[in-house]
Amino acid sequence: MVDRPLDEAGLVERARSGDLDAWETIVRTHQGLAFRTAYLLTGNAADAEEAAQDGFVKAYRAFGRFRRGAELRPWLLRIVANEARNRRRSAGRRERLALRAAAEVRPGDAVPSPEAALLAGEQRERLLVAVERLPDDQRDAIACRYLLGLTEAETAAALGIRAGTVKSRLSRALARLRETLEEEGA
Amino acid sequence: MNELELRLEELGREVAFPPTPDLAPAVLERTYRKPVAWGRASVAVALAVVALAAAFSIPQARTAILDFFHLGGATVVRVDTLPQTTERSHAAGLGFPVTLQEAQRRTGVRLVLPPGERPSRAYVLGDALVTVVLKAYGKAVLLSEFGSFGPGSLQKLVAQEANVETTRVNGGEALWIAGPHAFEYFGRNGFHQAPVREQGNVLLWLHGDQTLRLEGPLTKAQALELARRTR
Repeated sequence: MVDRPLDEAGLVERARSGDLDAWETIVRTHQGLAFRTAYLLTGNAADAEEAAQDGFVKAYRAFGRFRRGAELRPWLLRIVANEARNRRRSAGRRERLALRAAAEVRPGDAVPSPEAALLAGEQRERLLVAVERLPDDQRDAIACRYLLGLTEAETAAALGIRAGTVKSRLSRALARLRETLEEEGA
Repeated sequence: MNELELRLEELGREVAFPPTPDLAPAVLERTYRKPVAWGRASVAVALAVVALAAAFSIPQARTAILDFFHLGGATVVRVDTLPQTTERSHAAGLGFPVTLQEAQRRTGVRLVLPPGERPSRAYVLGDALVTVVLKAYGKAVLLSEFGSFGPGSLQKLVAQEANVETTRVNGGEALWIAGPHAFEYFGRNGFHQAPVREQGNVLLWLHGDQTLRLEGPLTKAQALELARRTR
């Protein structure tokens, strides 16, 4: 996740006035999350890159409509995610998400036994497969809220739905995931 | 957050996302491409004008000043040589694209255009300089307009070999610049666009209390003719 710049409002004002250094800073600050959001929604890197790029270009042209004082990140994500959803609709199919090959031993963690590491890896894989099998609307809500770590408001912006709808979709998705995992004994 | 939610968050850290490509160069380049409405060839010419302006920046150190001219809010300074240029990492440009109405609202400039010209977009730099892209004689040209709120708002450094002539447009003073020169803009409220090198010819003239600047690959006669019709 990329940190938000300290003076985002100042950067936005400068970018709105035509300062390209400020606009470049905004793009570089948000491009990581924008690309990952687009990747989760389109399911492939090429479409995600196009969607994120188109989203930023459209955002620049729409800066006149950006409300002063509003948060920039949800606004950018809404535009990028809209581009991504349009691409998914035309492409029809998305590639499966995969887990990183390396185990997740972080500094300070106890090193797990090989058996424990294998078990944890299998559980993560089962969870990912269960997420992928959710209906698209629930899967997107889970992906934005938990896999990307967006807030509920940002998830709502990215998916173009209301915060209340995000809550209900998440609730249904979590119940469904629990059910699936219980059936599989994971 | 319950256990399943925590597991999902952890899962997010383990997903193999492809590496993020650097989107900034393409985004910055494309930022200026689409608003020009009239066809691919003209867009390419317009981009070339922007690219020429964007390709170089000039260090602050100035060389010897040989001569200078004032016209409204513009100052043209002839120097013995233009300072060394360095390549910039991104496109510098015309400013922020808005509708013509919005550009006038933001800057207080009352845009004057040649008859029949009504571009869909204007570009606002700082809070006082408006530029539109026009098509004239089959070529893309830039028409910039700004209030004359003090000499030196817009500075042009011209090389010795550049030709600077005084001329007249609709009875008022004007300056014609042909040859290598650089453009630097100081807006109100401390706005500053660093100098960029330009290759096209430039005509500067006054219209009421506004300073107008026409830039592009036009001859002097063509530029004067277009300026006379701009009112």
